[in-house]
Amino acid sequence: MTLTNNDLRKLLEDMIYIRTFEDRLRINFAAGAIPGFVHLGIGQEAIMAGICFNLQDDDTIGASHREHGVLLCRGIGGDKLMAELYGKRTGICKGKGGSMHAGDLEKSTLGCNGILGSAQTIINGFSFAHKFRKDGKLAVTVFGDGASNRGEFHEGLNFASIWNLPTIYFICNNGYAISVPKSKQNKVDDLSARGAAYGVPGIQIDGNDIFAVLEATEEAFKRARAGGGPTLIEAKTYRWRGHFEGDPDIYRDQEEKDFWMAKCPIRRFEKYLLDHEVMTQAEIDGIWKSASDRVDGHQKFAEESPWPDRDDLLRDVYYCDEGSVQA
Amino acid sequence: MIGIIANPSSGKDIRRLVANATCFDNMEKVNIIQRILIAFHKLSDARILVMDDAYGMLEKAAENIRRLTHESVNAGLIPFRPVFDQTDSTKAARMLRELGAKCIIVIGGDGTNRVVAKACGDVPLIPLSTGTNNVFPYMMEGTVAGLAALVAETDDGGEMLKTRRCKRLNIYKNGDLADIALIDVCATSDMFAASRAVWNVESIRELFVTVAKPDSIGMSAIGGSFRTIREHEPLGLYIRCGEPAAFATNVAIGPGLIRPVGIKYSRTMAIGDRISLETGAGMLALDGEREVEFLPKDRIEIELTRDGPLVVDIPATLSCAADRGFFLIHNTPQGETKGGICIHDSDE
Amino acid sequence: MREITMAEAIREALDEEIARNPEVVVLGEDVGLFGGCFGVTAGLYEKYPNNVLDTMIAETGILGLSLGAAYAGMKPVPELMFSDFLTVCADYVVNQASKNRYMTGMQTGGQSAAMVVRCPNGAGVRAAAQHSQCMEGFVLNAPGLKIACPSTPYDAKGLLKYAIRGNDPVIFFEHKMLYGVKGPVPDPGEDYVVPFASADIKRVGTDVTVVATQAMVHKALSAAAKLEEEGISVEVVDPRSLKPLDKNTIFGSLRKTGRLVVVNEAYRTGNALNEVVTLCAEECFDALRGPVVRVTGPDTPIPFSPVLEDMWIVQESDIIKGVLKALDA
Repeated sequence: MTLTNNDLRKLLEDMIYIRTFEDRLRINFAAGAIPGFVHLGIGQEAIMAGICFNLQDDDTIGASHREHGVLLCRGIGGDKLMAELYGKRTGICKGKGGSMHAGDLEKSTLGCNGILGSAQTIINGFSFAHKFRKDGKLAVTVFGDGASNRGEFHEGLNFASIWNLPTIYFICNNGYAISVPKSKQNKVDDLSARGAAYGVPGIQIDGNDIFAVLEATEEAFKRARAGGGPTLIEAKTYRWRGHFEGDPDIYRDQEEKDFWMAKCPIRRFEKYLLDHEVMTQAEIDGIWKSASDRVDGHQKFAEESPWPDRDDLLRDVYYCDEGSVQA
Repeated sequence: MIGIIANPSSGKDIRRLVANATCFDNMEKVNIIQRILIAFHKLSDARILVMDDAYGMLEKAAENIRRLTHESVNAGLIPFRPVFDQTDSTKAARMLRELGAKCIIVIGGDGTNRVVAKACGDVPLIPLSTGTNNVFPYMMEGTVAGLAALVAETDDGGEMLKTRRCKRLNIYKNGDLADIALIDVCATSDMFAASRAVWNVESIRELFVTVAKPDSIGMSAIGGSFRTIREHEPLGLYIRCGEPAAFATNVAIGPGLIRPVGIKYSRTMAIGDRISLETGAGMLALDGEREVEFLPKDRIEIELTRDGPLVVDIPATLSCAADRGFFLIHNTPQGETKGGICIHDSDE
Repeated sequence: MREITMAEAIREALDEEIARNPEVVVLGEDVGLFGGCFGVTAGLYEKYPNNVLDTMIAETGILGLSLGAAYAGMKPVPELMFSDFLTVCADYVVNQASKNRYMTGMQTGGQSAAMVVRCPNGAGVRAAAQHSQCMEGFVLNAPGLKIACPSTPYDAKGLLKYAIRGNDPVIFFEHKMLYGVKGPVPDPGEDYVVPFASADIKRVGTDVTVVATQAMVHKALSAAAKLEEEGISVEVVDPRSLKPLDKNTIFGSLRKTGRLVVVNEAYRTGNALNEVVTLCAEECFDALRGPVVRVTGPDTPIPFSPVLEDMWIVQESDIIKGVLKALDA
């Protein structure tokens, strides 16, 4: 795997942009500006930036509730994403989906699926279409250790295996399904081992190491494009915040949180870049500043955007809204 | 007391994807631990200390035994708070040595044994293979390893326990001992550790091996493809790879992965030889895993020594033990014990 | 025109639509080599080996994959072996397919979630409680879904072609007792569709409006023939699609007759035709000259024993009783 200095710079920019965006959500949610639920991906930036870096434009990716960062890296638009989270008409989903359903098929990016586990079979429809059309593309589904216990994950992996689909199953194993730790979820909490049951290679990586994510996804994507079939990647990571904003997070102790925060994917990467003299501290500081300005812009756009109206309530049920949609 | 250090992360890395490596899942390791515990518990009351790990392998093994036999084994966790990375194995080894362990069973691959060897001192190791490239550990059944550990535990005079001293490579960075390796040190042109495994032969610049075996896979096989050096020989091999090659060989670089490697230069190393690295910058992979980075300003030297750990020779140990009546049940009503062999009268 | 069975009509629809759009794929358990458990897809695999796919037993996996392929712009037509299995993969029908367009705010750009789920409905083959249900009532509630329930080969072929060419998710209920029933269908090569929300008056009458679906349409027609001999003129209205529903045709009939009997094989409570009753009460109340009568299955699981199943299933005599009751008030 070769990465130019520009590649490394872009990766850092993406990770810092994600961190800044998510952190702004934390602040704005606490201030009451964001309705409903948000699930922040702070601490898991290496996974989001790494996967997206290796994707081609027409590859498909489905993220889960914690990966707004994937939507950003895929070019959904921070303005439209922020507006969607605010519930405004200018949001990607016209304010009708929110954090849990935001996505943009035109950018081949499925957002979160509100039913955890269901996306793990849906993704196969995309890889099936890629295979059917022989377009050399693939489909990635990103989800957590919790969702991997749904039957859908197993059915999906089985389907992808027997039909030899270019599907990559990427598990962000942060050790908790809301409050239930992995020791209470599975006897065999070695999630990469689940691949073996379906004849799919399963590997385990350090999800907080951007290089590990890049290397694993590069190899898995290469294999999928060449017709080698699916891969299961389990990335060990940790979420810094509770499951959702407002979660008192009393089920994890501070020592564990401190331990993982010390393994911050961004700080690790910054250290590497400084040690290898790819960037200076001033340049890195500049990136943080730019990210902050950029997110300021998104926030302003969201705040100033209009709310949806009654017509929006009744629209988009059917293709051309034939048929009786009663108010 | 004996110790068990099992690496929950072995057998899961990217070589399952880029090579045809088997997935060695942790339930299988639990099973191995279980077999060791049962074998030990059947014949001894001595304590077994197991390293804590993020998968709770001891708890699972002990629970399984309780369900099957309704008995509890005299096993517990090595008393330290783990951080769930490879430093745990080193710390566990150090504590076991300090607590007077008679031997340590290491369940993992070359890499696991390497980090244990950093701190185990002269406590003999029984290395059981569960990694990917396993040149150092044995493919050996857990029950048998448990019996060998039992012999080590009870053998005060050292009559039955047979061990051999391994070779070791020392890595010096700017004059200081930075790290060690048991089988191989490989200088690659990679600029980061990432997935740690080495499978891309084009990135290999220089290689130092303590053993060179064509009947193994990995770095040792590069040397082994044209020259054999076994464990007992006071030699190592130094190789420079790349173009222009003096010759090329086919090497089993990973499971199901045969690659051509260009050899520019090679020579044997004697015990005590210290060679300076020529490669300017990159990563040193130790026992198959990228570990130490070096920049142009760093001076790297690799030294071959006999300072490796002691490893139990299981077949020799168990044969010796059997000959000395170790396995006999001594309170049988009939039969005389002579020189360790029980002779029964022919009409019984 | 020629007489073919409903199974043949459905097969022709699939055949013609695959020929028309090579991204139409039929998938499900035993649909390929075996030709489908009810023989509906027989011969299609040989003709279109890339478009007819056998799957393992995995209703959630099948519908999930179909949905993803639909999002990607293909036109999947998954088959569930029995409509009862809709509950197994209900998430994909109720939470995903029906809602995706709305949740993602997509409008006319692309065919969002446009998969057509075919499933055999209904009792009569002694398959007992979990393989004999009529499941329209379970899915009627989900906004964004479309539901078809043809009763004749002509309707089945036309509705299926319309569904496959459409841009919305459809649950296409076929009735297993009707697969072998013949009816007139235009010759192959004569392309036609039956749009949704177009109810069909299967029999014109003046005294009572009987709204019936699927197998009940045929029983209503034989009941009507018998009642004709007693001097009672029954109008039989077949909605053909339950969502969207052509309420105007139903209202038109009700304004003419003043009496309403709804006949649907499924359980009484939550029956799909309760919606028709409610709409008539809300919007056509003035036309009603007496209470509405419902002729439905009882609120019990469907029994195995032939004697019991025949009691369970709505028979012609039940429909006659229902009509007489409606006229009695």
